[in-house]
Amino acid sequence: MKRAFIFGLIGFAGCALLAFNASAAGGPKPEPPSKATTISELAERYDSSRCADCHEEIYDEWENSLHARSILGSPRTAPTIITAIEKGLKLFPYSGVKSDDDITVEHLAICTKCHLPQLDEATDDVAREIVATIRGWQQAYKDGDDDKADELEETIESLNIGCMVCHNKVALIHKWADGYAQPDTVYGAQEGEHEDEEFVNMAEAPALSESIFCGQCHGLGPNLELDHPSQCATLYGSYLFSYVAHGGSESCQECHMEKSELGHDMQSYKDEAMIDMALDVKVEGRSIFWRKNKAEGVVPIGIIDVSMYNKAGHVIPDG
Amino acid sequence: MTAKTDDDTVVYNEQRIYMPFPGRFGRGSEMGRGPYEKSGLLRETSLAPGQTKHETFEISYPFEDQEKDGTSRRELLKDELIVTVTLWYVPFGEFDGNEVAFYEEEKTLDLKAEWVWR
Repeated sequence: MKRAFIFGLIGFAGCALLAFNASAAGGPKPEPPSKATTISELAERYDSSRCADCHEEIYDEWENSLHARSILGSPRTAPTIITAIEKGLKLFPYSGVKSDDDITVEHLAICTKCHLPQLDEATDDVAREIVATIRGWQQAYKDGDDDKADELEETIESLNIGCMVCHNKVALIHKWADGYAQPDTVYGAQEGEHEDEEFVNMAEAPALSESIFCGQCHGLGPNLELDHPSQCATLYGSYLFSYVAHGGSESCQECHMEKSELGHDMQSYKDEAMIDMALDVKVEGRSIFWRKNKAEGVVPIGIIDVSMYNKAGHVIPDG
Repeated sequence: MTAKTDDDTVVYNEQRIYMPFPGRFGRGSEMGRGPYEKSGLLRETSLAPGQTKHETFEISYPFEDQEKDGTSRRELLKDELIVTVTLWYVPFGEFDGNEVAFYEEEKTLDLKAEWVWR
């Protein structure tokens, strides 16, 4: 009996080692990178165009996605950041923000936690530069100065969810188990050497193709880990507690990347393919003479019956 | 959902809204405005995954009660309705140019049948 227990323990330890070896894509927590001091420096650090030489098709797909303009948005995100400052930060008594000069990286984190997670590698000056750039862009539009508006829009667009955000910065979720993303490694589905001067290694990100990966941003609800929780997306919450809870088994990536055939051009409500995949709508109509009651008599009515089946893995709409 | 007669007169216009109602700071009964104050959900009427939402609309045809020889007789003024059903995705709650039509269908209804009990 004792022997069996010992073998059992050895077996368990072996399984545990295998399990951790299989997913040991990361490594020790690296030294934090030096803080970028300008938008340009931060944008260059995460510039996806370096990937285009070898991954042209994927780059082109990504370039069309909203990930490529995560601060600019549709372009609704950038103005919403300003609204959050004016109607939120400046009015909250304990935010410490009375003017744009008071804005820090931590303040913008209510938006940039997801819209620009790499901002935590920048100084507070960069946070203020982002706000000033968005304000300048809005003003240029108001003034009809298209050249300046285009120039500033390009600067705003240089801040995005690029290749190395997903394939390095947020690639590993359970860092105590899988390790921390290493600064010389690009994370995906393969292991080995990677032809690049900076990212010389490839390693596996165990959850990259799982819904939880997207759930890092698309979202459970309020970001309760922040001093002031913000809330944009609740999609991952409805995916878990409504879609999966009622038997759904497909992942975000299966619908948004594979079945849609959009690959890295991840889209939502504005894309025809996604609209087709979202709902089945059926409309039926007929007419009758309705003997309603004594007071109103027989009323001639048309009847329209509509049924809408949500085929997606989340509520529609989200918010 | 809009119903018109053949002369383009709107006789019925009704909308149903499906959306999350995020709470302001996750307390009380007030809805939040932006991501900086939205927290949790007060109410959720969005279309749920894997479920079918049914809606029914009853549209009264235009009619008139006409007196003749001391008796009242109900007459249809139009016996045809052109109904348009549109499912809009309105990302910012306003028809501001960002709205997207997810589905649209036009149906013609008619009541050209015999009407005895008026």
